[in-house]
Amino acid sequence: MQRFNFPVVQPDPALEDLRSELQAFLRQEREAGNFRPEPECWMASADPEFSRKMGKRGWIGLTWSSQYGGHDKSALERYIVTEETLRSGAPVAAHWIADRQHAPMLIAHGTEEQKLDILPRIAAGECYFAIGLSEPGAGSDLANVKTKAEKVPEGWKINGQKIWSSGAHMCHYMVALLRTSPADGRNRHVGLSQIMIDLSLPGVTIKPIVDLSGDAHFNEVYFEDVIVPDDCLLGEEGGGWKQVTGELAMERSGPERFLSSYITLETALYQLSGKMGSDSHARLGKLIASLRTLKGMSWGIANLLDQGVSPETEAALVKDLGNRLENDLTQQVRAMLNDLPSEDWSPDMRRIMNIGVLRSPPNTLRGGTTEVMRGITARQLGLR
Amino acid sequence: MINTQGMVAETATKIYTDLCARDVPHEAEAGQYPQALWDALTENGLPLAWVSEANGGFGADHDEVFGAIWASAQAASPVPFAETLIANWMLDRAGLSPADGSASFALSGHTPSADIPFGMHADKIVLFDEAHHEISLFDNRVAVRSPEESLSPDGMTQFIFSGHLAEQSAKTDLSRRGIEALILTVRAVQMAAAMESALGLSIDYVTQREQFGRPLSKFQAIQQQLAVAASECAAATMAATQAASAIARHSDDPEQAWHEAVVAKVQIGHSVEAVTVPFHQVHGAMGYTQEYDLHHYTRRLWAWRDALGNEHLWSKRLGEALAVTSPDDIWKGVTTGQWVAS
Repeated sequence: MQRFNFPVVQPDPALEDLRSELQAFLRQEREAGNFRPEPECWMASADPEFSRKMGKRGWIGLTWSSQYGGHDKSALERYIVTEETLRSGAPVAAHWIADRQHAPMLIAHGTEEQKLDILPRIAAGECYFAIGLSEPGAGSDLANVKTKAEKVPEGWKINGQKIWSSGAHMCHYMVALLRTSPADGRNRHVGLSQIMIDLSLPGVTIKPIVDLSGDAHFNEVYFEDVIVPDDCLLGEEGGGWKQVTGELAMERSGPERFLSSYITLETALYQLSGKMGSDSHARLGKLIASLRTLKGMSWGIANLLDQGVSPETEAALVKDLGNRLENDLTQQVRAMLNDLPSEDWSPDMRRIMNIGVLRSPPNTLRGGTTEVMRGITARQLGLR
Repeated sequence: MINTQGMVAETATKIYTDLCARDVPHEAEAGQYPQALWDALTENGLPLAWVSEANGGFGADHDEVFGAIWASAQAASPVPFAETLIANWMLDRAGLSPADGSASFALSGHTPSADIPFGMHADKIVLFDEAHHEISLFDNRVAVRSPEESLSPDGMTQFIFSGHLAEQSAKTDLSRRGIEALILTVRAVQMAAAMESALGLSIDYVTQREQFGRPLSKFQAIQQQLAVAASECAAATMAATQAASAIARHSDDPEQAWHEAVVAKVQIGHSVEAVTVPFHQVHGAMGYTQEYDLHHYTRRLWAWRDALGNEHLWSKRLGEALAVTSPDDIWKGVTTGQWVAS
């Protein structure tokens, strides 16, 4: 018996041409000084100018129809793009979330008008989305969201607060999980809906939250009598819970769940070239074995998603293993760097290592905590 | 996922289901060798699955044979099925006929002795002599042997070989890395399969055993431990499958599969501790008894992770091999499984 569905899929040589193009572009951008590589770049390193360049080259919106500004390619091609940008630590945070989850959501649930208006701008790297799930009283207990959308003649009137909304200060829209009708007794999963909110509307206030490193990439977002038209309700009224959990496989199984800190390792490999001792060899071997295995798992899920299968538990497994791995990677590289006197570290090495350490705590929190992932797995095992 | 479809895998699964129920590994350990199981495997020609047709075997797809090995490990096979497959494959790659009966194997560097799994049971021993690029077949009875301390119920025997006693010898085109790739992959598949079985036992146990008035499975501390173990099992199966798939792709030149096989060895070797600790923990004292089944898997896992050297040694070997290639080469290997040889 094999409990989980992780198909082994051979790499497709046709995809490797795309990889080479990406590599050439990223190398050139980096060498030209257009970006400084950083770990966790997909969350914390945003540069609209860089996003527009990616858009021009056709590397955003790969998976959707050219009718909406997309490029009619598969999810596997998108995977290659995300993998290469993560490896380079490129500033992709501005467009990442819209490209990953909100564009597919609009394709599934948006009106024709919304698709024609918004999707081409996302694909051009010009229109960004924020996730509106967490609230002060709803973290891991997401069903506890209290922000309300009330039916009014003009559409929906929204009141409440979202929190930890990464990039909201530069985003054009938020898709929020809101209570559109009361819970049915103890069943809090009913009465929740997903609503797209234009963040430039009156009544929206965005306040930055400064993180422990001094960065301000996440935010509190307040809604006070914000009115959005009817067609901003995405999907089914009251079906928000099911829609949100359905998106999670996509959100949790991608390469950003285990490659976010790869730039730290790669920078160290250049630094340590010819200088590695046997302890470092052992650490390197173990890290690479885990990375290769995670790639296989994540790639297997990408192929299932491409076929329309959405394996929630497998995605939770990848996120749990992957988050542990990317934090462990930073620690292993710290140990490996003992092979080099610290005065010989390049400025880039020091900067990247410091960012890697400072940005490690949220890895096991965002997108569902490690404890929540294990709860999902335990349910699949029949333990709860 | 390991492919368990196809004639070879399905036949093996059926034989193990019919003839290796849970009492069989217990009886084997008490000294009652399951001859009926071995005979059924032989009658169906399964130990010859990797032998070419020209040489009397049926040259089955590597893929399918790994499915058969998976089935054998899930049943805690007390007969040297995987070992005979490996030994016959080595013989075949030197143009020699398959072993008459069961067999095990050894890789020899420059020393004439080797530790051999199932050494007391196997009829024949196949030796790879790296220095001379030679494969030799020995009858078990002519070698000087002494049982070693072993973690596994399958036993480990030390052999001292004298070249002139070999029944047959021939040159082979196999390299040490090629043979290592196959052996490590077989062990990887066995370990992943045994982990899955032990996970199944653990889930069954915690859902039945009650303490404090409710099943253990209802305690979050138990759920989270087993969820972590399950993630390690899933990773192990992926690593084993990637290695098996590389062997299948490079069946003519298994050295090309070396990196993927070593990745599996390292990944799974480290996972063994990460799963056997919680499996035993959730079983309490019951899992520590001979009467219960868990040790049929955990003791084999502890032995298999040491095969050809433990996971720490192989982490270092992999790191050494990678460190002399470029960061671009390493990235290519991680993302595509195409590793640049070093």
